[in-house]
Amino acid sequence: MRRALAGLACLALFVPACGGSVSERSEITVLAAASLTAAFTKIGVNFERATPDVTVRFSFGPSDGLATQILEGAPADVFAPASPKYMDQVRSDGPGVTEQVDFARNTLAVIVPSGNPAHIESVDDLARPGVKLVLAAVGVPAGDYAREILGNAGIQKEALANVVSNEEDVKGVVQKVLLGEADAGIVYRTDITPDISAKVREIAIPDGVNVIATYPIAVIDGSSHTPAATAFIRYVAGPGQTTLRSFGFLPPS
Amino acid sequence: MGAQKRMTPGVFVVLAILGIAFVALPLAGLIQRTPWSRAADVLTSESSLTALRLSIVVATSAAVLSLVLGFPLAWGLSRSSFPGRTVVRGLVILPLVMPPVVGGVALLSVFGRRGFLGAALYDAFGVQLTFTTPAAVLAAAFVSLPLAVLALEAGLRSLDPRLEDAAATLGGSRWYVLRRVTLPLLTPQIAAGLVLCWARALGEFGATITFAGNLQGRTQTLPLAVFERLQTDPDGAIALSLLLVAVSLAVIVGLRGRFLAAR
Amino acid sequence: MSLQIDVEARRGDFSVTAAFEAASSETVALLGPNGAGKSTLIATLAGIDPPASGRIELDGQILDDVPAGRHLPPERRPVGVVFQDRLLFPHLSAIDNVSFPLRARGVGRRRARSSAADLLARLGLAERAQARPAELSGGEAQRVALARALIYEPRLLLLDEPLTSLDVRARTQVRTIVRRELNAFAGVRLLVTHDPMEAMSLADRMVLVEDGRVTQIGTPAEVRAAPRTPYVAELVGVNLFTGRLEPLEAGAGRIVTPEGDVVVAWPAEMEGAFDPVMGLLRPADVSLHLRPPEGASARNVLEGIVSSISMEGERARVRLDTSPPLVAEVTLGSVERLGIREGTRLWASFKAVEVRVQVI
Repeated sequence: MRRALAGLACLALFVPACGGSVSERSEITVLAAASLTAAFTKIGVNFERATPDVTVRFSFGPSDGLATQILEGAPADVFAPASPKYMDQVRSDGPGVTEQVDFARNTLAVIVPSGNPAHIESVDDLARPGVKLVLAAVGVPAGDYAREILGNAGIQKEALANVVSNEEDVKGVVQKVLLGEADAGIVYRTDITPDISAKVREIAIPDGVNVIATYPIAVIDGSSHTPAATAFIRYVAGPGQTTLRSFGFLPPS
Repeated sequence: MGAQKRMTPGVFVVLAILGIAFVALPLAGLIQRTPWSRAADVLTSESSLTALRLSIVVATSAAVLSLVLGFPLAWGLSRSSFPGRTVVRGLVILPLVMPPVVGGVALLSVFGRRGFLGAALYDAFGVQLTFTTPAAVLAAAFVSLPLAVLALEAGLRSLDPRLEDAAATLGGSRWYVLRRVTLPLLTPQIAAGLVLCWARALGEFGATITFAGNLQGRTQTLPLAVFERLQTDPDGAIALSLLLVAVSLAVIVGLRGRFLAAR
Repeated sequence: MSLQIDVEARRGDFSVTAAFEAASSETVALLGPNGAGKSTLIATLAGIDPPASGRIELDGQILDDVPAGRHLPPERRPVGVVFQDRLLFPHLSAIDNVSFPLRARGVGRRRARSSAADLLARLGLAERAQARPAELSGGEAQRVALARALIYEPRLLLLDEPLTSLDVRARTQVRTIVRRELNAFAGVRLLVTHDPMEAMSLADRMVLVEDGRVTQIGTPAEVRAAPRTPYVAELVGVNLFTGRLEPLEAGAGRIVTPEGDVVVAWPAEMEGAFDPVMGLLRPADVSLHLRPPEGASARNVLEGIVSSISMEGERARVRLDTSPPLVAEVTLGSVERLGIREGTRLWASFKAVEVRVQVI
């Protein structure tokens, strides 16, 4: 008799995990672009404080890789890529999305290591032969945007000849410049965080040449924590905006 | 021989089958998921062939480098008793237990443009090692050196040192004895070491991508190409992975008969 | 041509001291029990293990001079070694093994192989030239090792237990060849063994080594006639009684040993009791009787059981568990005539004057 009761008690522990309303304990998984690492981590902390029954787990990475993971069936509740292209892919080729909303915009910048070993002063200098340029790989939004910018500046061919490494995500580009191995890299302006701003120098990209990246966020269809996921999205679009602004992201429109 | 077979315990047979399954099943999974209709396109694409060619060059160079550096090390560890021998042995094994990415970071700290040797190199000659094919070779050699030392040390210990004494009394100088007696007798262990190093170097990823970067034709070896493709085309990445497996198998099977069989 | 050696050689905790000379006109055998230090001396002479102290000089060339800090490495010594385990190179054929010393000294491949082939033929191994060491029989391998040591005409030839590992048949065959080669060899020859038969059949002079020391040097005849230590006496098959010498009666004395007493003729030079002394008795001087002898002049009559009989050619050595134990040497004919077998009860007798007494 005692054992049966104990067994029932154990079973009872599992019940709250099976979906249900926000008032029960849930954990949501958010797949977000690498450029959102710092901002979303802070938003996550604040969100958990505001909604004590929900825990947020983040997986940051290149948007193309994250989209592929979702298509392969990775259990994720929220997706926040650095480009609408990958949201579209999840919507049409994948499980589909709901509650989609644009929550931020970003622009890009050229960064060089402190000391500026290759004496880069403008975007055009990236075309100079011998410059060691690092970009995110083709397919990663930061990489695609960078190539678009080089095209806008009319130096795509020369600059691409200077590329010495295609990093898996934009944080890899930041790393290579921080370490002083690369002469220059093209990253999001928001990647120039306070703790690295002393070690790198920003070379502004003129507005006419720069691109504006739009970040959408949505709940992935089939998530078993839809209410909690939706709450997170509302938070990002609402109170989270202050945090995003503080990290340098532009408002969604 | 028959008596040996008879005495194999049943438990051993079961465990051996499990062991083989552990290795064979994931391989079967790969083969099953390969998109055979597209595989040919993926494998013959320019990026794949470039990655394959680069991988073979890098792996071979790294294996040779590991053996050239590893032999004197193995010699010292097995033949001389110098103070700190245990420390040296631990150091040599370190790349084996270190996460490869950490190994890459370590290599950067020495050979990177701001590393304590790399900076001197750059200031004096304007030469930067990162982002080059030699960097990929260095990264691969770093992780496979322990394997070379282990294989060669075992070999040197198994040699009867009196054979080398005898060769000396017969008039062989140290170099002559090394060339004509020691090395020929070590051929199986050298071959085993080469194969191990080559296989490890071929599959190296973390240290390469950290230290050498990722650029098609220069540093993007097959594992890096697989990883990049995995972001957007998992099935194609699987086809490419299978190529890696096939190349490794071909080398191992090809060499096995010739050198690894007992004298 | 000669070798002068005066060294202390050490290997681990063990040390052996040896001082002797060897001329090129003779084969010298280093004879001693296992662990006496013979192999250590070989290694020192070959240059593999430098001595702890002393000097080695060969034909005026200094091989080792510890006080002066000189040591000639093995590859520069004109020394050829045939090792106890032969140590043939397993990855080379017989002919390549034999050519090795020449190739190592820069001789061209063809010339080296041709010389090697000639030498192998001389040792009766022409058809085995291409065989690997693993395919050779014990006797063949021993001859290849000998050829390998001889081929570049060293001035000192060292043989470490050359016949020990061979079976009886191979031993006879190889012994003949070794003796022939040794006699034809122009330099100093040093042979190391624990087998007295091997030493006495191959060597002109013997150096006895026991417990890290040289105990006796002499020709086989000298050693046989006057062994200086119990080991040597045992070796050459002589009866040896060690104990305290006491006077017994006029002209006679008694050696008191733990195993029994032996009556001996009192040695002329001695006065009073003496301790210890050694009494030597040749086995041929021991007579055997099926019944206790009566009225014999022999002062020593001992009764015992035959513990073993061994044949050596036409003679038999009969061991008796008398007190003290004895070895008697009689003809095979006598053994058969008396029906002597293991377990037979016999009486052994010998005269007091036949025991030679010497101070240890």
